[in-house]
Amino acid sequence: MTHSSDFNAEKASNLKVIGTRPARPDGVDKVTGRARFGADMNLPGQLVGRILRSPHPHAIIKSIDTSAAEALDGVKAVVTRDDFAENPDNHAVLCNVMAREKALYEGHTVAAVAASTATIARKALKLINVDYEPLPHVTDVDAAMQPDAPVLHDTIFTSGVDPVPTIPSNIVARCEFGHGDVEAGFAKADIIVERELKTAATHQGYIEPHACVASVSTDGMSELWCCTQGHFDDRKICAALLGIDVSRLRVTASEIGGGFGGKTTVFIEPVALALSRKAGRPVKIVMSREEVFKASGPTASTSMRVKIGVTNDGRMTACDGEFRLQGGAFEGSPFDSAAMTAFACYDLENVKSVAFDVVVNRPKGAAYRAPGAPMSVYGVESVVDEVALKIGMDPIEFRLKNAVRDGSQSSYGPKFGPNGLVETLEAAKAHPQYKTPLGPNQGRGIASGFWFNYGGETCSNLNINADGTVTLAVGTPDIGGSRASMCMMAAEELGIPYDSVRATVVDTGALGFNEGSYGSRVTYASGLAIINAAQQAITEMCKRASMMWDIPADAVTWEDGYAKPSGANAGEFEPMSLAEIAAIAANTGGPIAGHREHNADSAGISFGTHIVDTEVDPETGRVDVLRYTVIQDAGKAIHPDYVEGQFQGGAVQGIGWALNEEYIYGDDGKLQNAGFLDYRVPVASDLPMIDTVIVEVPNPGHPYGVRGVGETGIVPPLAAVANSVSAAAGVRLSELPMSPPRVLKAMDDAKQAAE
Amino acid sequence: MRDHGTFLLNGERHEIRDMSPTTTLLNYLREDQKLTGTKEGCAEGDCGACTVVVSELVDGAVQHRAVNACIQFLPMLEGKSVTTVERLRGPGGTLHPCQQALVDTHGSQCGFCTPGFAMSLFAAYEDRQGKGLDRDTANDVLAGNLCRCTGYGPIITAAETMGDLPAPQWGEDRAARELRALEALCHTDTVKVASTDQQFFAPATLGEFAELFAEFPDATIVAGATDVGLWVTKRHMHLKTIIYTGRVQGFAHIAVSDNTLTIGAGATYSDAIQTLAEHFPDLGELVRRIGSTQVRNAGTIGGNIANGSPIGDCPPALIALNATLVLRTGDAQRRIPLEDFFVDYGVQDRKPGEFVEAIEVPLLENPDQFRCYKLTKRFDQDISAVCGCFHVTVDDGQVSSARIAYGGMAATPKRASAVEAALVGKAWTMETCEAALSKFSEDFSPMTDMRASSDYRMRSAQNLLIKYFVEGTEPLSTTRLVGRGSTIAGGANHA
Ligand SMILES: Cc1cc2nc3c(=O)[nH]c(=O)nc-3n(C[C@H](O)[C@H](O)[C@H](O)COP(=O)(O)OP(=O)(O)OC[C@H]3O[C@@H](n4cnc5c(N)ncnc54)[C@H](O)[C@@H]3O)c2cc1C
Ligand code: FES
Ligand code: FES
Repeated sequence: MTHSSDFNAEKASNLKVIGTRPARPDGVDKVTGRARFGADMNLPGQLVGRILRSPHPHAIIKSIDTSAAEALDGVKAVVTRDDFAENPDNHAVLCNVMAREKALYEGHTVAAVAASTATIARKALKLINVDYEPLPHVTDVDAAMQPDAPVLHDTIFTSGVDPVPTIPSNIVARCEFGHGDVEAGFAKADIIVERELKTAATHQGYIEPHACVASVSTDGMSELWCCTQGHFDDRKICAALLGIDVSRLRVTASEIGGGFGGKTTVFIEPVALALSRKAGRPVKIVMSREEVFKASGPTASTSMRVKIGVTNDGRMTACDGEFRLQGGAFEGSPFDSAAMTAFACYDLENVKSVAFDVVVNRPKGAAYRAPGAPMSVYGVESVVDEVALKIGMDPIEFRLKNAVRDGSQSSYGPKFGPNGLVETLEAAKAHPQYKTPLGPNQGRGIASGFWFNYGGETCSNLNINADGTVTLAVGTPDIGGSRASMCMMAAEELGIPYDSVRATVVDTGALGFNEGSYGSRVTYASGLAIINAAQQAITEMCKRASMMWDIPADAVTWEDGYAKPSGANAGEFEPMSLAEIAAIAANTGGPIAGHREHNADSAGISFGTHIVDTEVDPETGRVDVLRYTVIQDAGKAIHPDYVEGQFQGGAVQGIGWALNEEYIYGDDGKLQNAGFLDYRVPVASDLPMIDTVIVEVPNPGHPYGVRGVGETGIVPPLAAVANSVSAAAGVRLSELPMSPPRVLKAMDDAKQAAE
Repeated sequence: MRDHGTFLLNGERHEIRDMSPTTTLLNYLREDQKLTGTKEGCAEGDCGACTVVVSELVDGAVQHRAVNACIQFLPMLEGKSVTTVERLRGPGGTLHPCQQALVDTHGSQCGFCTPGFAMSLFAAYEDRQGKGLDRDTANDVLAGNLCRCTGYGPIITAAETMGDLPAPQWGEDRAARELRALEALCHTDTVKVASTDQQFFAPATLGEFAELFAEFPDATIVAGATDVGLWVTKRHMHLKTIIYTGRVQGFAHIAVSDNTLTIGAGATYSDAIQTLAEHFPDLGELVRRIGSTQVRNAGTIGGNIANGSPIGDCPPALIALNATLVLRTGDAQRRIPLEDFFVDYGVQDRKPGEFVEAIEVPLLENPDQFRCYKLTKRFDQDISAVCGCFHVTVDDGQVSSARIAYGGMAATPKRASAVEAALVGKAWTMETCEAALSKFSEDFSPMTDMRASSDYRMRSAQNLLIKYFVEGTEPLSTTRLVGRGSTIAGGANHA
C-alpha cells in the first residue's frame, strides 16, 4: 500500500463530497446544550479544587504554611511546590504550574486545595500562610531589556549572541534570519523609512474557561478529562510532572469552547492530578474568568524597529527589522516565528530580521493563532504602506511588484513552492470593496500576511462497520469543525454518503500519539491520515471481494463505493458495495479497518490579503470598521463554510487586537482589566459582516491540495486596520491597540505639530 | 410569610428552602440540577454564555426576557418561570427555529457560546411572535453574547432568517400551560429564604418592604443584582440580609402626569426604555447602550442611582434633566434634587433605613435639545470612560439656561457649573462654546485609569460640548456615533 500524499490534479478536479457544505455532525448537540465541555464533566465523590495565587508580581516565597488549611473540616488535600519533584526537562512548565522559589507574576499558582465544597475550599485558601519577600518587578519588554532591570532568573544567559554573556539578564535568546547585504541594499534605495512600533499583549479570549476533572486511584491509574487542544500532549507533560508512566494516565478531551492556541499547554491539570492523588478522590478545577486572564497563556507584547528601502519605481532594495517579544515569566515567546514571518511576503535581495525572547513579570505566554506573526507583520506592513504612499504607488501594485512567487527565496531560508500570494493580491485588486469611494474621515487599508502551517505526528483509525457505516477515530480535538471535514474526506475516498461516516475524538488510550490541534494542522495532517486509512481499507475491501469472486486481488478496483472486477481476465461479477462487503466481513477474515500513523511534513504555506475600510470620529477618536474582506489561499476548501468561519474568526480577533484589546498593567505590576467588561473583545455591533474570498492554489503536498487555514487569517488584520485608520485619521499610529484615547491624541498631536 | 421560594424550571415546580439565598441561578442549574447546557464563561454578566429566559406575568400576559443566570440570586425568581436551552426542543425532538437557524447557518464553531445565543434569540423570537430580526435589532439583542470563533456573521444571519422557518408546533400548547402555571404561582405573601447565616426577603407590597428595611436597616437591597450579583460572584462578599425589590407591587411603576415622568425605583431599563425614548430620545439611546439586553432586562434605574458609582450612566443624564429623587423611610418621603444625592465617592445622601422610591423627571418642551454622549471603546456592553449629558435652552439666540453633567470626570456624577455659567446669557455660537472650554478645568480634574487617561477625559469632555453644539445647529447627521436604527427603543417592530 502506498500512502500517496502528492497533489493529484485529476482527483482534485473530480471531487464529489469535498467542497460541499453539509450540516455539521455536532451542530445539534451544540444548539441543544448536549455537547459536554470541560466544566460539564462530574464524577461521583468529586472534590472542588481551588488555587491560591500570588498577589505579587515578583517575590521570593520564603515559606508556605498549610497546616491551618489542612486542619479545616472538609479539606481533603493541600498541595504546594513540595508535591512536585524537580523536573529539569520540563522546568519552565513545572515552575509555571506551581511556583517554586519565586512567584514570578501576579496570579502565579502558589498552592491549591481540594475540599468538599467551594466555600470550604475558598476558606482554606485564606488559611494558607505564605511568607513572601517582594522583589522589584518589570512588565514592559523594553524596560526588561535594560541592564538595570530586575532580573527574573539568574540562570538566563542570552543565547544566540557571541560571546555568551557572563551575567544573567531577561534576554533569553537572540535569533537572526535573512540573506544578502542590507547596508548595500539601503545604499541603492531612493527612499528609506524606519519606524519604532509597539503592540500590546492580548488574550485568545476563548469563552470557555479552563476546566478539568482528575481522578487518581490508589494503584496509580489516573484519568483526566479536560478541555484541551491536545490531550496527548497533556498526557505527556502531566505524566512527566507527576512521575506517572504514560500508560497509566488516560486523558479524554471534552468538547472545547475555543482555544486558538491557548489550550495547547497545561495549567490546572497537573495540579488537579496532584490533589486527586493526595486526596484519593476525583478533583475538579474550573478557572474563573479572572484566573483565565491572570494565569493562563496570553500572547506576547512586542516592540520593534522596521526599516525598509525602496527605489522610486517601487522595488524593495533592503529590509531590516528588530523584534522584541516578551513571553511572560519564562522563555518561549514566539520571537523566532515573528522574525521568520515578518518579511515573508516579499521577494528580497537583502533582508535581515533579528528577534529577542524576553522574560517579564507576566503570565507565561501560550500560542495564539500564528504566534508572533501578527505583530511583526503589523510592523512591516505599516512601513510598507508608508513607503508605497511616499512613492505614490498603489499599495496593491507595490505588493504585487515585490511579492514572492513559486521559486522565490524566502526571507527566512527555504525556497517557496507554489503559493497564492499573488492570487490574493489580484483578487483584492478586483474586489468591489477596493473600488468603492470613501467618505470624509474614512480610510482604506491593505495588508498581506503569511503563515507556515504545520503537519506533525498524527495517527487516525477508520473502521468499517457491519452495517456499512464508517467510524473514524481521530486524536486531534475538534476546534473548528474538523470532525465534519474528516467525515467528508473519508466519504470522498470510500465513495459513500457523508451521512454514513461519523468521527469521534478518542481518548489517549485508543490511538497512538497525536500532536494537538494547532499549527493549522488538523484538516491537513489528520485528514491526510484519514485519506490514507481509507485507502488502506479500500485495499482490504478489494481483497475481500476478490476472495468472494475467487480472482486475484489486483483484478479488483474500487469505484464510487463499489468493488468491481477489472482487467482482462477478472471475469464478470456484480460489483459489491461497501455495505455488502462489510456485512460478510466476519466470514472473509474479520473486521475491516484502515489506519495511518505518520509525521506529516508537507503542509502548505499560506498567504492572505485583507482590505478594511474604517471611519474615525475626529472628536472622540472612536474607530468604526465599515467594511472588511478577507482573501486567503486555502489550497482546497474541504468545507467552504468552515474555511470562511476560520477566515472571519481570525479577522475579527485581529480587529479586536488592532483596536481595543490589551493587557493593561498598573505600576504595581498587577493586571488592571482581568474581565470581559474591561478586556474588550468585539461584540456583534462592532463589526460589519466579514466578506471572504477563498483562493485555491493547490498545496503540492496534499492529494486534494489542502493547506491549513486556521491561522493566517489573524496575520494581516492588525496592519490592515492600522493602515486604514492612518488613512482615515490622516496620521500614522505606531502603537496598538488604536483605542479612542490613542487615536484622539495622535490626531491632536498632528494638529499641534502642523500649527 | 412563606419560608420558601417557588419558581418554575423548564415547566416544573421547584421549591427553594434551606439554602444560601445568594446561590446563583447558574450554580443551581449546573451544580444542583446538573443542567449543564447553560454555560459559565465569566460569572460577571459580561459574556452571555449563561443566558436563560425568565418569563413572568405582566398584566395578565407572559413576558419573556433573556437574563444572565450567573448574577441572578435564586430567590429572585419567585413566581417566575425559567427556560433553559435543554427545553427549547419540542416533544418530537424538533429544534426550535432559533436553534435550527443556528445549525443551518453554521452559527456555532466551538459551540460554547451557542446555548446563550440560542436563548437570546429565543426570547427575541417569542417577543416578536416568531419574526426574524433586522441587523440593527440583532446587534442589540445579541450585544450581551460574546462569540470568539465566528466573527458573528453566521449568527446574525441566523437571527435574520429564524423567522422564515416553520413555527414550532408545540408553541401554543406550551404557552398556555406556562400561563396557567404562572397564574397558579401568584400570591402576595412575603417570601423568606434563609440558611443558617443568611436571609432573603421578597415582600410584595411597598408597605412591607419599608417595614422590613426599617427592621433591618443594614440589609442589602437587591433590585436587578447586576451590581450586587458581582459583589458575591467576584468579590465573594457574604451578604447576611437581603431585601428584594422585584416583587413589590407598584415599585416598577412608570407614569406621566403634570408634565412629569415618574419612574419607580424598581423599573428595569427594559421596562422603562420605551417611555424614556418617547420623551427623551437621547436618553432612550443612552439606555439602549447600558450593558446588554440581558443586563437591561434585570438592571434598574433605581439601582444605577443608589449604587452611587461615578461612572453610572443614568445619573449624569437625569441630573442634566433636573430630576428629583424621591427617598423614603417607613412612610416618610423626602425629595431632593438628584445632583445633591451624590455627596462624594461612595457617599450618598441616604439615611439608615431610607431607600430610593422613585425618580421624577420634568418633561421638556423641546426634547431634541437634550443630548447624551457615552464614550466607550466598544459601542455596546461597555462602561463609560466619559458620559456627557447636555440640556441647553436658547431664546433668541441667547443661552437662557444650561444644565450639563458628566460621569467619569469626578468622584461623583457632577454638573459642569463653571462651564454652564460661561454659557448662560451668551450668544449660542461656536465662539461661546470655545470660550467655555477653558472652564472645564475649574469643574473637573479627572483621573487616569485603565479606561482612559486624565488627558483623554478632559479633551473628549470638551469636544463633547462642541459636538453638542454642532449637532444642535446642524441636522441630525453622520456626526452621530451610531444608532437610532434599532427597533428596541419603541421602534415599529416591537411587539
Ligand atoms: C455586564 C454589565 C454591564 C453593565 N453596563 C453598565 C453600563 O453600561 N452603564 C451603567 O451605568 N451601568 C452598567 N452596569 C451596572 C449595573 O447594571 C447598573 O448600575 C444597574 O442599573 C444596577 O441596577 P440593579 O437593579 O441591577 O442594581 P442592584 O445590583 O440590585 O443594586 C445596586 C445598588 O443599588 C442598591 N439599590 C437598588 N435598589 C435600591 C433602592 N430602591 N433603594 C436603595 N438602594 C437600592 C443596592 O443595594 C446596591 O447597592 C453593568 C453591569 C453589568 C453586569
Ligand atoms: S457567565 Fe458570562 S454572563 Fe454569565
Ligand atoms: S462558537 Fe466558539 S465562542 Fe462562539
